[in-house]
Amino acid sequence: MSEHITSALVAIAIGVLGILAYFWISNAILDALIGRSRRPNKEVLREQIRPWLFVGPALLFLFVYLVYPVFETLYLSFKDENSREFVGFSNYTWLFNDPEFHITLRNNLMWLLIVPTLSTIFGLVIAVLADRSRWGTIAKSIIFMPMAISFVGASVIWKFVYHYNGDVANQIGILNALVVAFGGEAQFWLATPLWNNLLLMVILIWIQTGFAMVILGAALRGVPEETLEAAIIDGATEIQIFFKIIIPQIMATIVVVWTTIAILVLKVFDIVLAMTNGQWETQVLANLMYDWMFRGAGDFGRGSAIAIVLMISVIPIMIWNIRRFRQEEMGR
Amino acid sequence: MSKPAERPLARIAASAGLLALVILWIVPTLGLLISSVRDKDALAESGWWTALSASEQTVFERTASPDQQIETADGWVIQGQLEIAATGYTITAFGGSQRTPNEGAPGSTVTLRNGTTLSIDAQGNYRFVSPDEPFTGSRGKRMFFSYEKPASFTLDNYKEVLTEGRLGQAFINTLTVTIPATVIPVLMAAFAAYAFSWMPFKGRNWLFAGVIGLLVVPLQTSLVPLLRLYSDVGNALGFEAKGYAGVWMAHTGFGLPLAIYLMRNYMKSLPKDLIECARVDGASHFHVFTKIVLPLSVPALASFTIFQFLWVWNDLLVALVFLGQAEDQIVLTAQLRALLGTRGSNWEVLTSGAFITIILPLVVFFSLQRFFVRGLVAGSVK
Amino acid sequence: MGGLQDSLSKFEAMDLSGQEIRFDGPWISGDEANLKNVLAYFEEATGAKVQYNGSNDFEQLVLVDMKAGNSPNLAAWPQPGTVGELAAQGELVALKDSVKDAVLADYSAGQSWADLGTYAGPNGDANMYGLAYNVNLKSLVWYVPENFEEAGYEIPQTMEELIALTDQIVDDGGTPWCIGMESGGATGWVGTDWIEDIMLRTQPKSVYDQWVSNEIPFNDPRGVNAIETFGFFALNDDYVDGSASSLASIFFGDSPKGLFESPAKCYMHRQASFIPAFFPEAYQGDAVGTDVDFFYFPAYEGKDLGKPVLGGGTLLTMMNESEASHVLMDYLTSPIAHEIWMAGEGFLTPHSKANLEAYSSDVLRKQGEIFLNATTFGFDASDMMPGAIGAGAFWTGMVDYTNGKSAEQVATEIQAAWDAIK
Repeated sequence: MSEHITSALVAIAIGVLGILAYFWISNAILDALIGRSRRPNKEVLREQIRPWLFVGPALLFLFVYLVYPVFETLYLSFKDENSREFVGFSNYTWLFNDPEFHITLRNNLMWLLIVPTLSTIFGLVIAVLADRSRWGTIAKSIIFMPMAISFVGASVIWKFVYHYNGDVANQIGILNALVVAFGGEAQFWLATPLWNNLLLMVILIWIQTGFAMVILGAALRGVPEETLEAAIIDGATEIQIFFKIIIPQIMATIVVVWTTIAILVLKVFDIVLAMTNGQWETQVLANLMYDWMFRGAGDFGRGSAIAIVLMISVIPIMIWNIRRFRQEEMGR
Repeated sequence: MSKPAERPLARIAASAGLLALVILWIVPTLGLLISSVRDKDALAESGWWTALSASEQTVFERTASPDQQIETADGWVIQGQLEIAATGYTITAFGGSQRTPNEGAPGSTVTLRNGTTLSIDAQGNYRFVSPDEPFTGSRGKRMFFSYEKPASFTLDNYKEVLTEGRLGQAFINTLTVTIPATVIPVLMAAFAAYAFSWMPFKGRNWLFAGVIGLLVVPLQTSLVPLLRLYSDVGNALGFEAKGYAGVWMAHTGFGLPLAIYLMRNYMKSLPKDLIECARVDGASHFHVFTKIVLPLSVPALASFTIFQFLWVWNDLLVALVFLGQAEDQIVLTAQLRALLGTRGSNWEVLTSGAFITIILPLVVFFSLQRFFVRGLVAGSVK
Repeated sequence: MGGLQDSLSKFEAMDLSGQEIRFDGPWISGDEANLKNVLAYFEEATGAKVQYNGSNDFEQLVLVDMKAGNSPNLAAWPQPGTVGELAAQGELVALKDSVKDAVLADYSAGQSWADLGTYAGPNGDANMYGLAYNVNLKSLVWYVPENFEEAGYEIPQTMEELIALTDQIVDDGGTPWCIGMESGGATGWVGTDWIEDIMLRTQPKSVYDQWVSNEIPFNDPRGVNAIETFGFFALNDDYVDGSASSLASIFFGDSPKGLFESPAKCYMHRQASFIPAFFPEAYQGDAVGTDVDFFYFPAYEGKDLGKPVLGGGTLLTMMNESEASHVLMDYLTSPIAHEIWMAGEGFLTPHSKANLEAYSSDVLRKQGEIFLNATTFGFDASDMMPGAIGAGAFWTGMVDYTNGKSAEQVATEIQAAWDAIK
């Protein structure tokens, strides 16, 4: 055990010092090499090289860990299950004719529409309410807390909430206990199609609302006081102020929050894996892909094709994100 | 919005609404926490919200062995006291058959199918009588009874998962993964973010646009190409493809887009004059960065550090693929997932296990929440 | 363990020191400790080092490694279907003849065990790729003897008697069966075990084999009949604890607990030999065999099909060849490699040279005897079918069946799924 800790500490030291050393030494070498040269524009040259020393390691990692795998996956999606022979588009034709894939697409669409929207709405409502309450800070901490919980941990928490112990009146899952208390019949919720999807989404909403609340709360504080006061003098009701003035003012932030959560939703994997493993029509793209890659003897062609569909579905968000960045650059 | 509503009614309504939401949010976690310290039998039988009330248990004990029977005027008798009596619990009902475990009130006598009679009093003294023939067999007969078990709490569940559930070692492993996988990307991203915000170079905007694009790449697609790369490199250089170094680098790669994005947004918002003055004074970018920008960027650094810490700590997929699953490398989330599989509805193991996995992130999170929020906000609100 | 020294000495003569073997498998915690014990003797004798990695997600993790060109030397697969697929892909190394010879000579019904591990390689030639090691017995019915005694029930010797007993219990006001099929992502497998056990009791082994390989379609009347026979037990609200429609929601490990309640929620539970691990603590260990016991899930007297037994087990395969790995495979066919684990828990073996005395308990010994006495051995069909069926459509079909779909409809849907992957 102590040996373990020591090696971890050594590794931390090497990793951290190594990186610091890289930046320090490479910059020193650059200064030394070009500082001594007699070239008239040495200053210019040096400042042309230096940025690459700064971004170099990051770009290298990004290339190896994200860019290269994307192309590799694209390539594999045109090959057979062992990545040996080219099969053209057959993985894609199979995919689009697979009934499970249709259910998966439907589910992903539901996730994409429901989770970011509800998280944003809840986040906004809580931010507004917390601003008006004396104990708002505590409330915000509690709502924010699930952000710190792993998807697997959250899955355990919610599996317990949804637990069903047969047709008995004495349910230990709180959802079924409430259902029984209100005269309903206890259900095996996770195996009830459509409902089960919603219940899985609840978990992610529970986690992400805190994020929406924090960002939107900051945006709310940025709404100019004068605008609000003017509206009050004009006799506007609070609800009118909220929908006619505040919402338009923070619209840009709302959109940012929505898309950030949407990106996360498309990648959702752990929750479905731990709760249902995609059974009972709860499959989502990321889990379907993992399933195809590693179920039975594994089919990398099909798994990669699903990965590509997943990536294509995030492209609109990606383009929108880049566009927004460019607009900001212009605005500066 | 800084003015709270002036009308008290609106304020009460707001408070009530907020309270309702807060309760909704905290109940699931509360259920987990309470359940994790409950007695394991109680946990499986009653909801955690009843944790404070007594529960009625129906169980059985065996009589003393038939070779201790004595012959009396009533017939052959086995008598003694139930073991449960030592706990001081009171017997509420009893019976001689599993079909009718509650047929007699304490102190009464019930007759069994074969003519034997059983009586148990509230203190647990029993008397088993066979009027016609001696008791046979080598084991005592079953006596069924019910008793009120008061609410009780225990840390046994934690003991069990920490030892048997292997969560103790997994906790250390997770720390070994998490710390370097947090520190390395923060440093790397800080330099890159500075270059992206203050150092003019060709293609800067294009590259940064590319970084933003990478924010959305699902990391699942990366796993196999990377593992293949790892094992090629590993085979060539003669080391194991799976190990801590590989995980650190993988988390670094996956965390960089967000790190660069957040930190660049923050650094860009620093006053332009500050940096330009320093440059005019002849300081190199390296110095401007280390001496001026880095200290000013602490909130953004802290924010991303927490973000990455939580992400790595809570990750399951990367650890499953890039680390061995033996005891010396398995991480908490993977171990918890294994428990979910093997211990299906052993909630006492799951609840306490889950709580152990979330305790450290929660502590980190609550103690550093302010920084986290500040950095996040700086990165996303314009 | 008198032969212990004999079967080890052969390996002591070899010096494999400095050689490392990576062995991945599904066994964790207690099982892992037992396996490591088995391996320790090998390490001691030869000087080789065996690094065992156990995980619940073993299959998926090995595939990740395999695709990355980083396969372990040995891997233990619970599903022969996967072994067949891997063999065809050329990912497995054919085992040496010495392993096959040992199985043929030493395993009872050796030919069927050799066949179980034999698959077509990438070029179509059949080779033995898998060695059956650590098997389990599925045709067991668990009950509480004292509850039977109290009610005056006898252990049924034939299926006809079992059905009569089931009705008798209902007439007496009790519930005969506890069935639970929930198992997370694998929900439904309990039902597939029932179907397979019934298939073996209603059809000759040859039909069973054809059914497994889909030469007989899933919706053949013989298969549909097996599903309906399961329905006879499971879909009758009087026969099962809870209601028929709730079976898919009861965790399989919780379902036997009804046996032990007062009053008992049920009298019988059909489940494999590993189930005591899920019993309440008071019914584990020594209590198995006295406080709780099992009997053989009987065969029909009216059908002359002998005493069939359904079982499962793991197949050891070699994915990455090395000299030491071949020696380890040989070692694992030797009696001692079986006896060591027999002395632990949760291990059964068809190895006829292994000493029955080595079993740690009478219970295991009794189960081991059922194995050795079986006239027919059927390997768990769902484990031999392709993953998309055996670990997919078949499971889901069972859930659908208990939720109200007809046997005919379910069988047709499973067949459709099978046609889709052909």
